[in-house]
Amino acid sequence: MEAMSENKMVPSDYSTGPMEKAAKPLPFKDPNFVHSGHGGAVAGKKNRTWKNLKQILASERALPWQLNDPNYFSIDAPPSFKPAKKYSDVSGLLANYTDPQSKLRFSTIEEFSYIRRLPSDVVTGYLALRKATSIVP
Amino acid sequence: MAAASAAGPVGNVFPFRDARAAPDPVLEASPEAHGPLPVPLVLDNGSFQARAGWACPGPDPGPEPRLQFRAVCARGRGGARGGAGPQVGNALGSLEPLRWMLRSPFDRNVPVNLELQELLLDYSFQHLGVSSQGCVDHPIVLTEAVCNPLYSRQMMSELLFECYGIPKVAYGIDSLFSFYHNKPKNLISSGLIISSGYQCTHILPILDGRLDAKNCKRINLGGSQAAGYLQRLLQLKYPGHLAAITLSRMEEILHEHSYVAEDYVAELQKWRCPDYYENNVHKMQLPFSNKILGSTLSSEEKQERRQQQLRRLQELNARRREEKLQLDQERLDRLLCVQELLEDGQMDQFHKALIELNMDSPEELQSYIQKLSSAVEQAKQKILQAEVTLEVDVVDSKPETPDLEQLELTLEDVESINDFEPLFSEETPEVEKPVATVQPVFNLAAYHQLFVGTERIRAPEIIFQPSLIGEEQAGVAETLQYILDRYPKDVQDMLVQNVFLTGGNMMYPGVKGRVEKELLEMRPFQSSFKVQLASNPVLDAWYGARDWALDHLDDDEVWITRKEYEEKGGEYLKEHCASNIYVPIRLPKQASRFSDAQAPGKGSGASGGGAGEHA
Repeated sequence: MEAMSENKMVPSDYSTGPMEKAAKPLPFKDPNFVHSGHGGAVAGKKNRTWKNLKQILASERALPWQLNDPNYFSIDAPPSFKPAKKYSDVSGLLANYTDPQSKLRFSTIEEFSYIRRLPSDVVTGYLALRKATSIVP
Repeated sequence: MAAASAAGPVGNVFPFRDARAAPDPVLEASPEAHGPLPVPLVLDNGSFQARAGWACPGPDPGPEPRLQFRAVCARGRGGARGGAGPQVGNALGSLEPLRWMLRSPFDRNVPVNLELQELLLDYSFQHLGVSSQGCVDHPIVLTEAVCNPLYSRQMMSELLFECYGIPKVAYGIDSLFSFYHNKPKNLISSGLIISSGYQCTHILPILDGRLDAKNCKRINLGGSQAAGYLQRLLQLKYPGHLAAITLSRMEEILHEHSYVAEDYVAELQKWRCPDYYENNVHKMQLPFSNKILGSTLSSEEKQERRQQQLRRLQELNARRREEKLQLDQERLDRLLCVQELLEDGQMDQFHKALIELNMDSPEELQSYIQKLSSAVEQAKQKILQAEVTLEVDVVDSKPETPDLEQLELTLEDVESINDFEPLFSEETPEVEKPVATVQPVFNLAAYHQLFVGTERIRAPEIIFQPSLIGEEQAGVAETLQYILDRYPKDVQDMLVQNVFLTGGNMMYPGVKGRVEKELLEMRPFQSSFKVQLASNPVLDAWYGARDWALDHLDDDEVWITRKEYEEKGGEYLKEHCASNIYVPIRLPKQASRFSDAQAPGKGSGASGGGAGEHA
């Protein structure tokens, strides 16, 4: 609680108006408020962090939803059924060819010579952009 | 230097504005805000920007929301110092120096960190001039995510009711408020809303004025993913300017220089042509910086650098030679001692020493001594020589130096190729391998320009083709078709007559034409459809929420009061024309960290059904 009320006192520092001076809690707040979500279900010193979205959704899944109830994870868009078009990594034009050495896509001869001269971190960067980096060499 | 070059259509060179946000003043609430009834506060809580203002009844409700600020906060520079606490939004000025310290309460489009949300609310209330003591005595209209998780709504209600003591709250969806604002007369209407925000894009079918929530779909791509994609594309193209390609500048490029192609493939074909490229590429001029990698050093400077390296290597070699000389000298002395033993006739000690040295006979010892002494002589000679002249054959003996130079050259080559866009320029770059005598012809301004060509259409395209960025989800068009297919044909026709586009990420020129084209492709031959863009896609949600608040001030069926919060829990929601669907599942009340100390305050909130377990 002491940490929380300190937190509340500090934000008033940056107000330039004559009313709020330092170390004065904001008048419209309850100074004794504690977030119950802070720490999650396990009170005490263990869990000091807020749940992130993944954790919230995981616990929401466990609730008794009916089949047709709308909730945050059921409205995710489905994966695409159409085959993706291939675009060149370098210029964005339609790519008909792929470099077998680096797996980058290209559309013209100049792009190919450009790709062959790229340092390896740029190559990995382009592949990561497409999420095409593979662990298996 | 940046603005000196031709800005505007001549040569298509544009400077970066790099705008800084001005800190908001602490506003005095206008007299209407203290009207007879407490005036509602309207807060559009977005992951990109939070917009807050009063909903004043009266002839002319105020123009824009009083406050619009980025929904981020960060501690002051230099780590957690004692004095300044976390600063919020516009008080931060420019975001770039603090980029790694920015924290936002949002995770995707849901607020998860309510401490930061509390800071944002503090900031809003303070700067709007809320002056009531002990509580914020105004009803609040707050926007939330589509199908907001119950946990998050519970936390938010708890924050609002228990910390700020507001009398009543209404939750709504920002795109629905925007829809409400653009079609006020037709209260009972149906349509299809495509709303693209900072973190995700929603497609929401509206039937008879109410959201048909089970058929909504959400694509997890929005403005922030487009900015990140553009940033990585440019950073990979210009590795020399890694630090100058910041997210704020990317947002500037997206807002001002990007557009959505009506037919993506055809547009790309146009960009293949070098003339079209020359006319339409936007060259963003970066501010001049002194930190440039090798290529702009003149040849003299390069030579000097090379000589410096040589000198360093020579010093290293000289030191090594001296050490070796010393060691050899010592060893030679030891061997000479042993030989003296032999000459003095102390055979036993001599033999013992020989065995220690691992030698078999005095002759071997002799030859070894000779070899060693000649080596010592040579080393001394070399040291003398090295001190006198500049030994260039050091380069030959040390294999690392030529590699270092070649590596530098390849880096310079790549950069010069990057700068001159070999894909589309006719002349080959003049910066050849910088041999020591040739002065490279160099355009310093061009080095600091980012050529934004096809990136202008690639970045906004990710919501239509998420495969560009590696996402497996379907794009806007395919999802639209998926949703329409879930309805019978007549309902489909009805929905398609009223397609509404809203959200900040829909402000690219050409989005409306693109959506119309996609609808044309998927609808039956010669059927009609109508697409409408919101009048102000960014602020319409706030305007709609304000209009809604003013229209429903007296309607008790839409506001959640404090009493209801305490009875039915924080996740309770009252449905209205712009809200989520409420699924009555009771969440267990979360225990606070100091539950025993705060029992009186929290006890009232824990009444009611549900599991009621205090972990």
